[in-house]
Amino acid sequence: MKANNINRMTWMMIAGTVIVCAVLMNSCMESQKVAGKSGVQLWAENCQRCHNTPSPNTFSHEQWVTIGMHMQTRAQLTEKERDKIVAFLTQ
Amino acid sequence: MSPRKIVNRCMCFSCASLLLVNTVKAQQSTVDSTLLNRVAALEQQVADQKHGESHFMVVGLATFGFVRNKTTFTPDGGPAQISKTNSLGDADRYEFSPMLLWRHGTKWLLEFEPAFDGSSVGVNWANISYFAAPGVTIRAGYFVLPFGIYNKRLAAGWIDKVAPDPVGIDLPGTDFGIGISGGLPLGNMKWSYDVSLTNGLQLLPDGELQNAGVTDNNTNKTVCGRLALLPFSNSSLEIGASGLYGGVADAGSNYHNANTTMYGADLSYVNKMDPFLFNIKGQYSRILVNSQQYMKPTDSSSYSFDNKSTSAFAQISIRPVSASDKLIKNLELAFRYVNYTTPGNSIWGAKYHEEDIGLDYWLNWRSVLKFTYAWSHSLSTANVSAGGTAGTTDMNNIYLQFSIQL
Repeated sequence: MKANNINRMTWMMIAGTVIVCAVLMNSCMESQKVAGKSGVQLWAENCQRCHNTPSPNTFSHEQWVTIGMHMQTRAQLTEKERDKIVAFLTQ
Repeated sequence: MSPRKIVNRCMCFSCASLLLVNTVKAQQSTVDSTLLNRVAALEQQVADQKHGESHFMVVGLATFGFVRNKTTFTPDGGPAQISKTNSLGDADRYEFSPMLLWRHGTKWLLEFEPAFDGSSVGVNWANISYFAAPGVTIRAGYFVLPFGIYNKRLAAGWIDKVAPDPVGIDLPGTDFGIGISGGLPLGNMKWSYDVSLTNGLQLLPDGELQNAGVTDNNTNKTVCGRLALLPFSNSSLEIGASGLYGGVADAGSNYHNANTTMYGADLSYVNKMDPFLFNIKGQYSRILVNSQQYMKPTDSSSYSFDNKSTSAFAQISIRPVSASDKLIKNLELAFRYVNYTTPGNSIWGAKYHEEDIGLDYWLNWRSVLKFTYAWSHSLSTANVSAGGTAGTTDMNNIYLQFSIQL
């Protein structure tokens, strides 16, 4: 009986942890509104948080990829934001 | 016509035809050969320019200017002492910093920024980052600690809206260690984290803190981190909270269990309300060092003081980005208020505040001409018996500064 209780408690804790993790992970999903944003929109919104928006002609394709990684570490951009902004700047 | 003539004419026609066909074939062969050679050359060029996994580039910044300074020091009960300087090179803010970025694929990035400030060559940061997963970046080396927003994002001359840095904002600065950071979506919102484990700060004999440097001064490590939330889907508002804790005493020193706790808050709001772009930034930080006995340099006796410092700045800048006139749309008006309080009864105790007003002209998105007028007032709260100086200091500075990012 005691062992059953422990097992039940264990399962409840595991289930609880999974539910909490699922809720957290789900809450870290972007909304449809955010997911539908284009690269140019994200470029306009995020770059100006710190500095003026850069011209796409400033750097080459390869350079923009490097700059995108650098800016991700500086401004804590999400990976999708970085990829979309870089894709716009390299068009 | 006789049959013989007919045969002769046919033979002549055949010979002429053969000659013509061979000539054409020879010409075609020459054309084909030229084309093939050209294609081969182009293929070689493409092969030579094929993108590899690694990429290296140099960016960076240069800031140069002029500052005119007038300082009025009024000691308690004494006459005012005035000094004036005119300095090219903008001694406070001159900087030449090429930044080297070297990535391998899209997972590894090395960042190295040496800096020449007019008197010495230093290093702003030198670290390696590994982009482990979406929202997870691991880094190691010498990097700007994740505390507040100014040092990591706003300090560069081509980003800063006014010429001088806010006083008292330099700690905790840059340190050696490891860290993890990332930005993640949260429905319509976004949040980010940035945590580090580093050597930590060093407590000086007068109670001030500074970076420990390459050689760690003790076996303790310092934890520092910042959490931020961007509640609006357009990322216009960012609210951050920072904290730091760690031991600061030199190993074997008289400061027993000396540690520091720092906490802070920051805010960034950027939004366009036609025809203006409003940019608001602010940061508050508080530094606490637990109770210690310090030694007076005057007579070597011990004394103590409440070792707490606070620093804060708030700034607003307005730019008419939608104005039709090119000259007007490139102008930006900025104002900043700075407050910095160091511990009363220490050798360096003071209550300081500064106001800066600036007019910037943007030559393009990454180069700016700045005119800033700054005035400050500092009231000493120093311990005179320990060697501090009592009095007030007023400063008036005029800056003319140029900064460019390349």
